[in-house]
Amino acid sequence: MSVVREALRQISRRPATRQYPIEKAKVASGFRGRPLWDMKKCIGCLLCQNTCPSGAIEIVGKGLACEIKYFLDRCIFCAQCAEICPVKAIAMSEEFELAGFDRSKMLYWYKREPQPKP
Amino acid sequence: MVDGGAEKENCEMTPYEVFQLLVFPGLTLLFVLAFFYEWIDRKFFARLQNRYGPLYTGPFGLFQPVADFVKLLGKEDIVPLACDKLVFALTPIFYFALPLTALFVVPISESTGLIAFEGDLIFVMFIFTMLVVTVFLAGWSSASRFGIIGGVRAALEMLSYEIPLGLAMVGPAIAAGSLSISAIANWQSSHLVWSIFLQPIGFAVLIVGLLAELEFVPFDIPEADTEIVAGWRTEFSGRKLALFKVGRDLELVLASAIVAALYLGGAQALGPIPAIVSFLIKTVIVVLLLTFLRAVFARFRIDQMTAGMWKYLLPIAIFQIVLIQFGIGR
Amino acid sequence: MKMGYASTIRVPFGPQHPALKEPENFIFEVDGDIVVGVTPRLGYVHRGAEKAFEIRTYVQNIYLAERVCGICSHAHTTCYVQAVEDILGAQVPPRAKYIRTIIAELERLHSHSLWVGIAAHEVGFDTLFMYTWRDREAIMSLLEEISGNRVHYAMNTIGGVRRDITSEGASKIRSTLDAFEKRTKEYAKIMQTERTFLKRAQGVGILKKQDAIDLGAVGPTLRGSGVKNDVRAGDPYAAYGEIPFEVISHEGCDVLCRTIVRCEEMLQSIDMVRFALDHIPTGDLRVKVPPAVSAGEAVSRVEAPRGELMHYAKSNGTTKVERYKIRSPTLANIPALCKTLIGSHIADIPLILAGIDPCFSCMDRMAFIDSKTNERWIWSMEELKRKTVK
Repeated sequence: MSVVREALRQISRRPATRQYPIEKAKVASGFRGRPLWDMKKCIGCLLCQNTCPSGAIEIVGKGLACEIKYFLDRCIFCAQCAEICPVKAIAMSEEFELAGFDRSKMLYWYKREPQPKP
Repeated sequence: MVDGGAEKENCEMTPYEVFQLLVFPGLTLLFVLAFFYEWIDRKFFARLQNRYGPLYTGPFGLFQPVADFVKLLGKEDIVPLACDKLVFALTPIFYFALPLTALFVVPISESTGLIAFEGDLIFVMFIFTMLVVTVFLAGWSSASRFGIIGGVRAALEMLSYEIPLGLAMVGPAIAAGSLSISAIANWQSSHLVWSIFLQPIGFAVLIVGLLAELEFVPFDIPEADTEIVAGWRTEFSGRKLALFKVGRDLELVLASAIVAALYLGGAQALGPIPAIVSFLIKTVIVVLLLTFLRAVFARFRIDQMTAGMWKYLLPIAIFQIVLIQFGIGR
Repeated sequence: MKMGYASTIRVPFGPQHPALKEPENFIFEVDGDIVVGVTPRLGYVHRGAEKAFEIRTYVQNIYLAERVCGICSHAHTTCYVQAVEDILGAQVPPRAKYIRTIIAELERLHSHSLWVGIAAHEVGFDTLFMYTWRDREAIMSLLEEISGNRVHYAMNTIGGVRRDITSEGASKIRSTLDAFEKRTKEYAKIMQTERTFLKRAQGVGILKKQDAIDLGAVGPTLRGSGVKNDVRAGDPYAAYGEIPFEVISHEGCDVLCRTIVRCEEMLQSIDMVRFALDHIPTGDLRVKVPPAVSAGEAVSRVEAPRGELMHYAKSNGTTKVERYKIRSPTLANIPALCKTLIGSHIADIPLILAGIDPCFSCMDRMAFIDSKTNERWIWSMEELKRKTVK
């Protein structure tokens, strides 16, 4: 009988479904979304590339002139790169709507800004 | 209205009769009602579970059943190699045509059906039985393990609920003194009382029997989707499955119309309210009741259902008939 | 009188079947409506996880261990880091142990809640399925706030945990659990009093106590047959030695008893989380560990929501593990499952299958045994690649 009471009570309640994509979910702070690199801080230590469990980070070049290729389709969003970076150049954003049809569009290439000539 | 008893010189139908047959209250109205009742069923079922149900196709998702039907028509129709091809192709057509045939004798827009003759209640009971035979043949002819098990379960279910269902339908007939659905409906309006108040036990038995006929939970054993995939409907796809879906909706219209006609007074014009509106209100209430019962129970096992029907439902139905014979409920 | 046709038919369940959430094959020999024989065929979800462990470093393996299963992910990582810490001899700080325990119990809550919904769905009770999954969302959102993700929490690291539970996090946990406890008590009452569900679950899937012990059943399947066996009590790990709780078991031996065991475990987990939050010590979250692990081997056991989970690790002094073995609780329950299925109706099969809470994806491993010579061996990485990946 308690199910009958429960069921009748639900008729007056607003449905629990979130009408995505019209209403979007608000993620918690600290959510592990897509990682973002701050190239001003990066020192090219290669730690993030070596620690990534799925090989989603590739470093091109050396040291302070290196560029970072991030493969979104390989990333597992574990935040190990953000944890191990010694200069805290990696931050996990709140983006989670990352699905797509084309893998070639899932490569994020972080380049350095050209230094002003002395 | 076609009078089945009188002889006619020529068998021509007047344009008005053609209109009645094809549009209102004929095929077009019945199709519209079928899709509309499926929408009500799905929406109410969803609301009981605290979710939306159909939402995007049309206002409030009204066109979702139509969209599903049209989608299925466009899908590939796969026929298993080992199946009995003729029966496999014919059963969807029968499943879809039988409720339509039965709906012609039920009063929808006037106080009598399009066709009314003495004994059309027995005709409707026969249609119910033929529906189950069709289901069994559909499952058997699909030559698939799940189909065969589903078809056999449907036949076994019918053996259990058919007698109580028949007795519940015959109760108002005894009270009205006639075996014609239209006459029973008219008897209720002329005596200003609905059979549900005279024979509430019979109403309850009829609702339970119809839950089994329509294969609603707790009696959706032939198509138990977690046990035997889709039961007797497993091998059907494309157009055939679309016909089965529409057939099920038409069965829902038929079941609610029968309950409305036998126990709730049928399509009678109450003052300024036209008969069709009163029919709609009553049948929608019956559909809501059936959906509510669908939502609050778990599925029975076939042996539990057979035992329960024969041990409990049949004695209750007989008890109701005995009460009528003693004058209570006339 | 033999009629010239077979008296039993074979009904295949899977690998694709609405009753199974993950693919495995069970072929049932059915006589009328009664099951007289069952042949399981496993291995449809074999992913070569044990070999994958051998080519990654210890830190990378944490995340691989997490993805062995989606719903008992924290149990797998806890088991993994405990095995590695055991070889290293690392002392995990007490605060980290408490945080591991809290997350593990929250995971048990949402796993059992999911199971209640699945059990209701298998008997056609879709309404209860929708209600339990709606209320489970509260726990998932809570875990997202604490750990950053709804399913793979990535809280563990070798030597401790990566994130802290702040005081606002703790108060959020308490308020969510208060609301969740009310709903859980309601659902536990429904599962035990709803007549149609009782008719389907009572007396179904009987597993006698001696059979359960002989066939090596674990988890609620074992505890529903009256055996008080729980790794948290018998071999305490993390902070379980300091949190008082009692092992729940019932004598009924049927699916209804397993349901009751799981519902009561849910209520007990809520109390355990509250106790842990009240008594959590302050301190560090992790200790530093070297990247290369000295040679040694270790076995670690954890009570996952489905039963006893075992990991075995063998290291050889390099940064990569030499051999890793995982024994999931579902694999231990399969022989008991086959025993309970014989003699049941076809309609009982989905509920009995769901009754052991199958998680086939964490179960599939590969080993070769020659039954004549009793020789055992496994494939090396080259053989695996050559024979499976074209």
